[in-house]
Amino acid sequence: MNMRYGVLVLAVTAGMSAPAAVLAQGFKPTRPVELVVHTGPGGGSDVLARAIAAMVEKEKLLPVRMQVINKSGGAGAVASAYLAEKKGDPHTIGLFTGVWLTTPLTSAEAKVTLKDLTPIVRLVLEPAVIAVKADAPYKTLADFIDAAKKDPGQLKQSGGSVTSRDNVVRQLLQKATGTRWAFVSFPGGGERIAALLGGHVNMMVIEPEEAGEHIRAGNMRLLAQVSETRLRSYPNVPTLKEAGFDVPVVPQVRGVVAPPGIPKENVEYWEDFFRKLTRTPSWQKYISDNQFEDGYQNAADLAKFYDEFTGRMREILKDAGIKTVR
Amino acid sequence: MEIITGLANGFAVALEPANLFWCFVGVFLGTVVGILPGLGPPATVAMLLPLTFNMNPAGAIIMMAGIYYGAKYGGSTTSILLNVPGESASVVTCLDGYQMARKGRAGAALGIAAIASFVAGTVGVLGLMLVAPPLAKFALSFSSPEYFGLMALGLAMVVLLAGRSMVKALLAALVGLWIGSAGTDLFTTTSRFTFGQMELLSGIDFVVVAIGIFALGEVLSNIESREEAQLLPAPKGLKNLLPTVQDLKDCRFAFFNGSVLGFLVGVLPGAGSTIASFLSYGVEKAVSRRPEQFGTGVIEGVAAPEGANNSETGGALVPLLTLGIPGSGTTAILLAALVLWGFKPGPLFIPENPALFWGLVASMYIGNVMLLVLNLPLVPLFAQVLKTPAYILYPLILGVSMVGVFSVSGSTFDLALLMAFGLLGYLMRKLDYPSAPLILSLALGAGMERALRQSLMMSEGSVSILVSRPMSAVMLSLAVLVLMIPLFGRFNAWRLRALEQ
Repeated sequence: MNMRYGVLVLAVTAGMSAPAAVLAQGFKPTRPVELVVHTGPGGGSDVLARAIAAMVEKEKLLPVRMQVINKSGGAGAVASAYLAEKKGDPHTIGLFTGVWLTTPLTSAEAKVTLKDLTPIVRLVLEPAVIAVKADAPYKTLADFIDAAKKDPGQLKQSGGSVTSRDNVVRQLLQKATGTRWAFVSFPGGGERIAALLGGHVNMMVIEPEEAGEHIRAGNMRLLAQVSETRLRSYPNVPTLKEAGFDVPVVPQVRGVVAPPGIPKENVEYWEDFFRKLTRTPSWQKYISDNQFEDGYQNAADLAKFYDEFTGRMREILKDAGIKTVR
Repeated sequence: MEIITGLANGFAVALEPANLFWCFVGVFLGTVVGILPGLGPPATVAMLLPLTFNMNPAGAIIMMAGIYYGAKYGGSTTSILLNVPGESASVVTCLDGYQMARKGRAGAALGIAAIASFVAGTVGVLGLMLVAPPLAKFALSFSSPEYFGLMALGLAMVVLLAGRSMVKALLAALVGLWIGSAGTDLFTTTSRFTFGQMELLSGIDFVVVAIGIFALGEVLSNIESREEAQLLPAPKGLKNLLPTVQDLKDCRFAFFNGSVLGFLVGVLPGAGSTIASFLSYGVEKAVSRRPEQFGTGVIEGVAAPEGANNSETGGALVPLLTLGIPGSGTTAILLAALVLWGFKPGPLFIPENPALFWGLVASMYIGNVMLLVLNLPLVPLFAQVLKTPAYILYPLILGVSMVGVFSVSGSTFDLALLMAFGLLGYLMRKLDYPSAPLILSLALGAGMERALRQSLMMSEGSVSILVSRPMSAVMLSLAVLVLMIPLFGRFNAWRLRALEQ
């Protein structure tokens, strides 16, 4: 079924650009494919990449092996530069996340943007939820905002770096409501949760999967969810909009890029490959276990998404008083 | 009572042939990757993760945990024999371990490392079994100001690691702090000391510096003395192949110190085994009757950090299993693994999966015994490495170091950095600067700066937060006390001289 669908897609694209598509049917990886990630073994992208490699093996989606290559360092810059160097190489692809997009905005040293690479697909969107400690006095997001209004700068939020989605949500909410609270950066996700549960900060933006067990154990409560529609696992928690705060929903993205200058048929091959991957039961199970949202977008849409995302990011960083270099 | 039935059930799970087998595979793999420098437990666990998707979860977690604590055993091997730290937590082991090897006591050093690992590893599991829930609460009461206190206390140990010259030690420590500050600032995304190099945006890897300064520095300075055919004397006689009774006696306190400190530091999600090993080494030296001999090859200087490093594993599993909060590195991957195997790590994990938890605990007791049995006979074998002639051993160390560094980051820039730090290590040896203070302040510097800035963000810029919270106040006072130890020493010397006159 999947196979036939793939052929159908190829046939449709063939209709649009005949000569390239003929080749597309011809392109098949002939040596092991490198899947480049920007974290060391065990980082978020690395775990996803290794899960993908395992699925590819299990579902026999590639005629060759898929190897995960760790190019850590430079907050994504080393990995994207590595891909840029592989110009025209059809056997190398990279798994990007939001930092690949934001690092070049704030660091002059990171010279390769997603624009310099070949967008392939967007794979997942990671929604988020806004959580407080279970015994916190705030029952709704409005309660929290009111409290922040009363004591400007006194409430605290734990999160990642200032370019992380956590801070973006804060900036947007602060701007929309004219309030101000502190943002305390912690490098590790565990430390952020520990700071909230220990009562050292008042609020955090957290991934739904991470929050689930703390809520079930009665240690944490949700005020709102950062997504367009309510998540299946939290049918009773309002979205930001429903909670009365009409701010843009900033997704955490993961997707795939290829080196610059690869032929169109290769782009199509990978587009199709990942479409097939996202239809497999293993993938469906993986994203539902992790409470990701299926964020599949093809190459053209991904390029558009990139422009939107960086445009908005630039504005948010400006509001946050962070210098952008591009 | 509950514990006894739990443990009995746990042993029933852990002693199933399949699980016993996975336990052995885990600790064996752990030992191997521990020995290989660079490739540490987080990398190994991450790479093997996909293989476990179709395994029975009990077997999988038993194997993964086995890799985690097994690697802590192996990490000391290259530290002692070659001055190449196998992983970041084994850096401290180089200080006295390698000196022991130079004196021909490599076997004793390796043996005591295995024994201390066994004792402390077992104590760590005991702690995990007996006091996990209350300790997890304690861990949550720790936040940035307390971490600042802890790291300040750790950094104060610099004065204990100083060789002949305090000034040189402090200078080395400052260089370590400087190296630690390179990279992108977490709070403002400003680049610091990157010199326009994108590779430096995420800072300089601790392991690269440690391997460069210790291993390459050692090789470079040894190459000068060409006439020696061998790097180190190979141990002769049973006395030098395994620790003697006297050695074990000397290490009595080190076993205790390493076990307890390692476990407590391990429980804190923001600390880690490198800090645990440095702290226990410092404590060992501070209370020792022969502090002046530390750094020249005293056996308790190997036992304490190796112990701390191992009981830290039990500690680090406490917040992971009771709260679903990973400290760093390997536990974060174990968390991801638990999710992939279909569990929900969090506060309800143990009550809902008692068989799995107790199975893991029981397997860790078994695994520690396996590791001891596996490692002790290897000691004489490994010690023979030192018989290798220098003209083979030096290139070997160089190669092993480079492969180790490259295997983690896959970056040739890191190889260049490794060479640069090797040169620095060589110069420091030549000019008689101690390297331990540099490594210590590098290990603590970035975290300490972060903790300080986080604290100030929490208090809206008021420094009083550091002393108004009891635990951070206690640790800061201890740090001041440690800083004054050399002054006492000097005062004592002056008093003795005055008395003589």
